[in-house]
Amino acid sequence: MKVFFQKKKIVFHSKLNEFSLKNKFSGSISSFLGKVRPYRDKKKIKFLQIELYKKMAYFQADKNLKKILSKIQIDDFLIIHRYGKLFPGENIILVLVASQHRKDGLVFTKKSVEWFKKEITFWKKENFQLHSSWVKSEYE
Amino acid sequence: MKILYFAQLKETLGKDQDIIQLKSEISVNELIKELILKGGKYKECFEQMKNLRCAVNCEYITNYNKSLKNKDEIAFFPPVTGG
Repeated sequence: MKVFFQKKKIVFHSKLNEFSLKNKFSGSISSFLGKVRPYRDKKKIKFLQIELYKKMAYFQADKNLKKILSKIQIDDFLIIHRYGKLFPGENIILVLVASQHRKDGLVFTKKSVEWFKKEITFWKKENFQLHSSWVKSEYE
Repeated sequence: MKILYFAQLKETLGKDQDIIQLKSEISVNELIKELILKGGKYKECFEQMKNLRCAVNCEYITNYNKSLKNKDEIAFFPPVTGG
């Protein structure tokens, strides 16, 4: 059960294969793969920069994933989130969950993705052809 | 004590951290007042605290009367945009 924040690219098929082999006796593997979108309001994104408060991100992720795990039963999970410079089409977040039954795996996948998408201490800056701008928070 | 800045705040201040030595415990409110007194960009940023969030030792805080020690790590940043 691990969370990683990394700059290097996420190779989906190899991570899925490794995780599936590691959890070969689980009844289901659920997955979510988030990608960098190419447009914002019809404006072409050249690249995305993600800044993070890494120490707090690990601390808060651990705390909140434990909260989710207190209500459901899964065998294992792997969450990888990239930061730094990312280009449209690249993988940004991967969530893999192994569970005996699909329902718990899907619930964990949904809840963890929702938490990461809204709460993790990340700040995104979109770089367009002529300018760049910080993505507005849902909490502003 | 380590004071960390992120995102737009880091860009405006032109730095990602300050390290200060406290002679005695102070509250977050008192620290913010000290930062405003530095003037310039600090004054501009910390006078508008409603646009900033604060975390002490990786926990969000809303009670700015919380006291701080030298071993604490305090962070100021705009609302997160998530992953």
